[in-house]
Amino acid sequence: MKYEAVIGLEIHVQLNAATKLFCDCPNRPGDEPNRNTCPVCLWLPGALPKLSREALEKATLACLALNCTIQPESAFDQKVYYYPDLPKGFQLSQHHKPLARNGWIDIIGEDGKQKRLRIHHIHMEEDVAKLVHEMEGRTPVSLVDFNRAGTPLIEIVSEPDMRSPYDAMEYVKALRTQLRYTGSADCSMEQGTLRVDANISLRPFGTDELNTKVEVKNMNSIRNVGDAIAYEIVRQGECLDRDEPIVLHTRLWDPEKRVTMPMRGKFSGPCVPDPSVARIVVTDDWLKDIRRRLPEMPGRKAERFSKEYGLTPEEASNMSQEREISEFFEEVARQGIPPRKAASWITTHLVPALRDRDVTITETPLTSGRFARLLAILETGVINAHAAKEVLLQLLASDRSPDEIVEKGKYRQVSDNSELEAIVDKILADHPSDVDDFRGGNAKVMGFLMGLAMKASGGKANPRLLKEIFTKKLG
Amino acid sequence: MRTTADIFTYKNTSQQERAKGGPLAGKRVVIQPNMCARGWLTDAGSRALEGFIALEDATVVARLREAGAQLAGSARMGELGFGLKGDTGAQAIAAGEADIALITDTMGEARVAAAAHGLFAFKASFGVISRFGLVGLVPSIESWGVLARDLEDIIAVMRAVTGKDENDPSMPDEEPPDLSNIGGPLMKGQTAGVIKECLGGLSVEEVRLFQTGLERLEQAGFTMQEVSFQDFGLFRVVHNVIGSVEASSSAGKYDGVRYGHRASSAKHWNEMYLNTRGESFGTLIKEYLFQGAYFQFENYRAFENACRIRGRLVRDTADLFKNVSVLAFPTRRLGLNAAAATSAREVYDAFSLTLPANITGQPALHVPSFARGPEGDMGMQLAAPRLADAGLLEIGKVLASAMSGAERK
Repeated sequence: MKYEAVIGLEIHVQLNAATKLFCDCPNRPGDEPNRNTCPVCLWLPGALPKLSREALEKATLACLALNCTIQPESAFDQKVYYYPDLPKGFQLSQHHKPLARNGWIDIIGEDGKQKRLRIHHIHMEEDVAKLVHEMEGRTPVSLVDFNRAGTPLIEIVSEPDMRSPYDAMEYVKALRTQLRYTGSADCSMEQGTLRVDANISLRPFGTDELNTKVEVKNMNSIRNVGDAIAYEIVRQGECLDRDEPIVLHTRLWDPEKRVTMPMRGKFSGPCVPDPSVARIVVTDDWLKDIRRRLPEMPGRKAERFSKEYGLTPEEASNMSQEREISEFFEEVARQGIPPRKAASWITTHLVPALRDRDVTITETPLTSGRFARLLAILETGVINAHAAKEVLLQLLASDRSPDEIVEKGKYRQVSDNSELEAIVDKILADHPSDVDDFRGGNAKVMGFLMGLAMKASGGKANPRLLKEIFTKKLG
Repeated sequence: MRTTADIFTYKNTSQQERAKGGPLAGKRVVIQPNMCARGWLTDAGSRALEGFIALEDATVVARLREAGAQLAGSARMGELGFGLKGDTGAQAIAAGEADIALITDTMGEARVAAAAHGLFAFKASFGVISRFGLVGLVPSIESWGVLARDLEDIIAVMRAVTGKDENDPSMPDEEPPDLSNIGGPLMKGQTAGVIKECLGGLSVEEVRLFQTGLERLEQAGFTMQEVSFQDFGLFRVVHNVIGSVEASSSAGKYDGVRYGHRASSAKHWNEMYLNTRGESFGTLIKEYLFQGAYFQFENYRAFENACRIRGRLVRDTADLFKNVSVLAFPTRRLGLNAAAATSAREVYDAFSLTLPANITGQPALHVPSFARGPEGDMGMQLAAPRLADAGLLEIGKVLASAMSGAERK
């Protein structure tokens, strides 16, 4: 039988607020174990939670970026379960009254058409501590690191609108782009600041029933999200074909074996309103203020880039996916650099160089002014593209001006006719058979000869002049 | 007679505070080990917090120190503050070890303990005193209770500790009562309401004794008025459901992972939890925590209903005050010894007349000797609308002077 997959995602995102959700401890889970703790996040007797204003603001910004409606009143509940990573026997989470409801994200579906995926709600909650299992000699010990306990999270619960691994991956990508734009979260799956749990069920095509779902966890990349869902769809399909019932449970994705393995029955404990955390009552003025902080989001920005700068849809999309890149592009374009040229250089040279170094633009000395100057020098013919690439790499490492680098590094392009003619003459003399080849009609030889000449000039020859000379001499 | 060691879990021998001035200068205050005082054992009377030493002062403790009070020490208390079994705060005053005692009042502990020792007791409005540093059990219901022989001492403590605290954001966003000017003569035209259904649960003899107390109220200038509150019996049910659920959550942090008693051996974490918690809690509190876990895990609907009914009880009580200035109740039943209760049901029996004020968050004052008979003091308990703490204490002063006048006769 052919089945249709029904997929919903629950995504936990760690907010990058400076402090934990209910105390002033630094929000830095990676520090030396148990360094960032206090009576509140250890939940020592007598402590009381104090909701972080910054975390609330960042959460609200994230909700707005995902087109949700902020609720006039939200509140924290105690999600009761007992585990050593939970310092008080319950997790504070907004179960009954979430911060926001009814959002959506648009993706481009597999059919190339826009598809709107709905978000059921977004709530705030605190993260739990980290358990470390070690051997002390021959005795196994379990240690608890409370640095992560109480760090601020939002959980984004989608509607079951996704139908394929592709949909799910696009949803996660789009959500990540939107959230990073707001500056309220880093959203790294590798570092665990964005964690995806997928709920998957199957139904016969053409029906609209919602069958028993299975939850899959532990995917640490978007690729793994797709693979785990694809695996689970096949697995459940085989179960159904064998008339095995699907049981509500949680499975773990094993990235080595590339399979999902059963973990435990899905547990849902009681959720009791917490009397000690103040209710959140949103006023219009406050919400207006947060809304003002919402940047122009990538979809709208791409449209504007097409219109204002004449970028193609693909270029506009490339220039708007990341907020930092988009702002950098616009600053460069405003300095009189042809926008498509700026976009092309950012995509083909700057972004790969940043990726190689695993840095963002702000982590390098590069400024939009120096990048624009580099492209301007390139435009006027003082240097060629080859040299410009070299200069760009140096701009990422030092704060010298492009002009200085060009002068000191002797990158200035050779446009002196006599100098270039001497190079060309020598190459023609050294490669008589290739010359004959060309004259015999093999046009490809020109490229080979150009390469040799460029190399002989140390990469500095003006390619336009060089070609003219070759054409003249071979004609 | 109890010895000092029987009364105190920690006796403060530091001389530092003695010389300090302030409105509470020279007053010896005894607290309980569920109130944090830096460096003191703070085990809330439970093995679950065995050896826990407070890292900082509760806001209340810090404010008492600032006001010049001398912290005499920490008394003994019922496990986690549920009921009065083993409580010695009132005894500390009776034995001359302290002038003032602080007891958490979750269902009426302060008022009932005072009734047994001829003391005044005041439970403040919910939310006007910071709970920072209180090792609480039932956060939406519990309050601070103050006991003293002299009502003026209670007023002085209330002045020192009432008011906002940035460390307790759960305090409602409202102006705390102004206690600066308590003392004028009783205003004319005060009416005391008596709930018919409350008297319905008392024995003939108890009603008669309480009536003598009401007559003395009349002599002090009150007009009496009978009022009806059909759902009076629901206060107890609502308290039991909400109280036990919150207690179960609050006690969830006592797992032996970070402090307190931990079972000596276990095969895995789940067994460590079971053994630790099994060994840590006494039978009385265990019964209460089980009740709460039952409502949390098996009958959440009952909890939701209790919360909804609580809202109605709060509104209906507020309506009663349209016609009366205070409500008068006996403080306790005769022949029920709260300290001897061995089951949750017996604990609730002992506090059935005081717990309504905890459900509604109203201030309540226990006045001793108004309804005293051969079998003991039932106590006269007056409850005022929430945040009317100042007016209630003012009434208390009038009754205190009427009382001493009567004693002189």
